[in-house]
Amino acid sequence: MDVLALLEFYILYPSFFVMIIFPGLIFALIVLLYTIWFERKIAAKVQMRFGPLYASKRSGGFLQLVADAMKFVFSEIIVPEQVNSTLFALGPVLYLLVSLLPLAAIPLSTIPPTGSVLSMYFHEFYDPNVGTGIMAAVVSNYSLLIVLALEAVTPVFVLFTAWVTNNRFALLGAVREGLLSVSYDVLLIMASLSLAIEFHTLDVAKIVEAPIPGFVANPFAAFLFLVGMLIGTGRFPFDIVEAESELVAGPYTEYSGLLFVLSMGGSYIGTFAYSILFADLFLGGWQPFTGYYGMIFTVFKAILVLMFAVFMRSVYGRYRIDQALRGSWKYLFPLALLSIVIGGVVGIWIR
Amino acid sequence: MSQFSQQPPSQQPPSQQKAERIIDKLLAEIKSTFNLNVKAESERRGYVELNDPSILLKLGEFLKEKGLDHLKSITGIDYPDQKKLAIVYHLSSYENPDLASLILIVKTYVPYEAPEIDSVYSIWPSSWTFERETYEMLGITFRGHPDLRLMFLPEDFEGVFPLRKSFKVRQEGLFIDKQA
Amino acid sequence: MTSRPEELLPEGGMGVEVVPVSGELNVGPQHPGAGHMRILVKLNGDIIEDVDLDVGYVHRSVEKLCENRNYIHLIPLVERPAILDSIHMNLGYILAVEKILGVQAPERAQYLRSFSAEVNRIASHLYGLGILTVFLGHSTGFMWGFGDREVWVEILQALTGARVTNSYIIPGGVRRDLGGAIIEMTNKALDYTERKLKDWKSMVLNNPVIRARLENVGVMSRENAVRWGAVGPNLRGSGVYYDVRKMEPYAAYDKLDFEIPVYKEGDGFARTLVRFEEIEQSMKMIRQILKEIPEGPILTDRFLNQIPPTRRKKWLEEQRRVVFPGYYASFRPPKGEATSMVEAGRGELLYYVISDGSAHPYRVRMITPSYRLIYVFKELVKGSRYADLVSIYGSLDYFPPEADR
Repeated sequence: MDVLALLEFYILYPSFFVMIIFPGLIFALIVLLYTIWFERKIAAKVQMRFGPLYASKRSGGFLQLVADAMKFVFSEIIVPEQVNSTLFALGPVLYLLVSLLPLAAIPLSTIPPTGSVLSMYFHEFYDPNVGTGIMAAVVSNYSLLIVLALEAVTPVFVLFTAWVTNNRFALLGAVREGLLSVSYDVLLIMASLSLAIEFHTLDVAKIVEAPIPGFVANPFAAFLFLVGMLIGTGRFPFDIVEAESELVAGPYTEYSGLLFVLSMGGSYIGTFAYSILFADLFLGGWQPFTGYYGMIFTVFKAILVLMFAVFMRSVYGRYRIDQALRGSWKYLFPLALLSIVIGGVVGIWIR
Repeated sequence: MSQFSQQPPSQQPPSQQKAERIIDKLLAEIKSTFNLNVKAESERRGYVELNDPSILLKLGEFLKEKGLDHLKSITGIDYPDQKKLAIVYHLSSYENPDLASLILIVKTYVPYEAPEIDSVYSIWPSSWTFERETYEMLGITFRGHPDLRLMFLPEDFEGVFPLRKSFKVRQEGLFIDKQA
Repeated sequence: MTSRPEELLPEGGMGVEVVPVSGELNVGPQHPGAGHMRILVKLNGDIIEDVDLDVGYVHRSVEKLCENRNYIHLIPLVERPAILDSIHMNLGYILAVEKILGVQAPERAQYLRSFSAEVNRIASHLYGLGILTVFLGHSTGFMWGFGDREVWVEILQALTGARVTNSYIIPGGVRRDLGGAIIEMTNKALDYTERKLKDWKSMVLNNPVIRARLENVGVMSRENAVRWGAVGPNLRGSGVYYDVRKMEPYAAYDKLDFEIPVYKEGDGFARTLVRFEEIEQSMKMIRQILKEIPEGPILTDRFLNQIPPTRRKKWLEEQRRVVFPGYYASFRPPKGEATSMVEAGRGELLYYVISDGSAHPYRVRMITPSYRLIYVFKELVKGSRYADLVSIYGSLDYFPPEADR
C-alpha cells in the first residue's frame, strides 16, 4: 500500500470522516452559515425586504455570513467580573461539542460490499442486523438509544453555560431550558420508541432499510418528533429559552465574540443533528441510494428539514413557557401514547 | 364580539336649546354645597376656585359621586410675585356621557411656606403620576400619596424645582459661521 | 444513627417545602424589550409581584422649555415627544393657542387637519402593531408594520414636506394645501393598505401563537380602566365608549361619519383589535374627506391679509402654500388660559396653556396618553407572568419618549 492509498484509507475512515468532514465539524460549519443565510433570506422574502445583500451581491449576499463570522472571531471576548474564566470559556465549547456528538451514532448510508470507495470498510463497519456495512462513526445495534441519550445531555450544558455566567437573565433562560427539556425529551423519546416498536429494532439503519418510510408507517410519531425537535433546539415558535425581547439572549447573554458564535452555533448544529435523525427515521434516509450518494442524499433530506425548521421564524411568534409546557403535556403527550399504540399495532404487519 | 356603538351616547354639541346647560347645573350644585366661586366659560369648560385647600378631599368625593371619574390632569403653576403655587385639577367623566363632553377646572393655591396639599390618590388613583411629577417639578408635597419619589428626574436632583420660575434655563446663543 | 428518618426530619421526610423563588430583575434601559426606560421587576418564580417603572431616560423638559420660547417656536418642540404622532401633538397645542387668540381656522383647513391627523393615526397604529409583534417574537409583523407605514409617511411627506416632524398645523390654518398628486397617492395608499390588511389578518390577528400570547393576557376590566385613568384604544378595549373625536369634536370630526370600535374583553387582543379597526375607520374617514373637502383658503383671513400681496401671490396662489406672516414671529396673545383636547393615536392628549400677555406662554401643561399609561402599566403588569411583561407593554402601545416628554 503506497502513501496515497494509506492517506485515503485514513481520511475516508468512517469514524473520522463522519465526525470531522462530512457531515461533521467542517460540513456542519458550512451548513451553519448556509442555514443562517437562508433563514435571513427567506424571512426577508416574507417581510418585503432584500435580506443580506451587501457582501457579494451576485450570490445574494451569501458572503455576508462569512464576513459576520470573521467579525465575530476577531471581536473581543468580554469576560465578566466574578466569573470563573475557565468555566466561562468552556461552557459554549462543551455545548457545541455535545450538540455534535449525536452524529457519531447516526447512520448516514450503507456500505456496499464491492464497487464503492467505501467498500474497503465493509467488514469493519458490518452491521449483522441489517446485513450490510453501515456508514456511521460508531456502528451499533442500539444506535437509536445512543443518539437519544447523547441528545438528552445537551440541556445540561445549557444549564452549565448559564450558571457560570452569573447573570439573572441567563439563569432564567436556563430554568426555562430545564423545564422544557423534560417535556420535549419525552416527546422525542416516545416518538422514536414508537418507531422502534413498529420496526422491532433499536437500530436506526434497520429502520431506514425497512420497506416503508417512517412518516407513512406512523405519521403521528413524525409530527411529534418534528415538534419535539423545534422545542428542543429553540426554533420558532418555541424560541422560549433565548427569547430576545424577554431575556436578551437567554443563557448566552454574557457571551461575546467567538464564544457567542459557538453558543449560537450549538443550537443550529443541534437542529442539524436532529434533522439527520429525522431524515433517517421518517424520510427513508439514504434510500434508494447506497454508498457515497446515499450519504449525500440523507444529508440533503436533513437540510430540507432544517430549512423548514428555520422558516418557522417568519411565520410564528413565540409561545410562553407555560403554554409550551401545557401544550406538550396536555395535547402532545396523549398523542405520543397513541403513536406508541399505533406502532405496536402496525408493527404486527411489519416484519 | 366586536360591537360598534352605533350612536354615541347622547351627544350634545348644539345644546343651546336646552333651558339649562349641564355645566350650569353642576356649578350651581357646587356653589350651593361648598359656597365656592364658580364660573362657566362655555358649555364645555367650568371653573371652580377653591381658596381653602383643606376641603379639597370633600369636594373631590362630592364630584366623584356626581360622576366626574376622569381626572385629566394636575398642573402646578408657580406665581413667584404672590409667593404661592397654584394647583389645577382638570376633571371630566368617562362613564357619564353628559359630563364627558365638559371639563371642570378646579383651581387651588398653596403658599410658598407650606407647599402641602392632600393627595387625591384615594379618590382618583390615576393622580399617582400627576402628583409625583408635580412633587418633583414644583416641590409640592401631597399628603397621603403612597409613593412620593422623584420620577423623571435623576435620583440626586434634590432641593431644586425645575418648573418654578426661579429655575432659569440657560440658553446657548446660536452662532453661525459665515462661509467666505 | 437511627433507621427511622421521621425522627430526624420534619413530617418524616415526606413533606415537600415549596420555597418561593423571588428576586429582582433589572429590565432596561439597555434591553431589547424595555424601550427607553428601566423596569424593575420583582419576580416570584415566573409571576411578577410588583414593578417599578424608572421613567425619565428621554425626558426633554418640554414644559419648562415652553416657558422660554415664543408661541410659534413651540410647534416643533411639542411634537418632538412623539414624532410618530406629531400631527396630533401639533394640533392639540394649536387648538389651545387658537382658543386664546380667538381665531378659527377656515373650513378647508379643518378638513386638512382631520386628513393629516387620520393619516398620522394609521401610521402610528401600524408602528404600534409592529412593535407589539416584535415583542412577541414575530419579526414578520414588525417588518410589515414598518413597511406598510411607509406609504402613509410618504403622503405626509408630500403634504407637509417632512416625514415625521411635520409642523404642519399653524395658528389659524395649515401650511400647505392638498394637491392632485397627493390625492392620487392617497387613493393608491388606501387600496394598498386595504389589500395588506387582509394579509395582516391572516398572518398576525389569526396567527395561533399571537392569539395565545394576547388573549386573556393583561386583562383590564372596565372598572380598572376607569380607576387607573386609561385613555385611547386601551380604554376602548376595556369597553368604555370614550373618544375625544366624539365627545368634543375638533377639526372636521363633527362632519365626518365614523364609528368608534369598542371591545369588552379588556385583554391585549381586544386592544390590538381596536387599533386594527381604527385603521379601517381612519381609511373610511380619509375617503370621505377626499370626497367632501370644500374649496377655500387654508389660512384664516386675519393672518392671510397680513401677508404682503406679492408674496401671497407667489406662494399661496401658485404653490398653494403659506408663507408666515410677520405677526407670527413673536405675537403676544391676550391674557387668558385654554384647555384643549385631541384624540391622538394613543389616546386623549390634553394641553393646558396659560398666557400672561407676553410673547412666551406662562405655563404649558401637556398630558400625553403614554404619560397616563405609566400608572396603568404599573398596575396592569402585577400578577402576570414574566413573559407577558413585553406582551402587555406592546399591547398598551406605551411609547417612552411620549410619556417622559
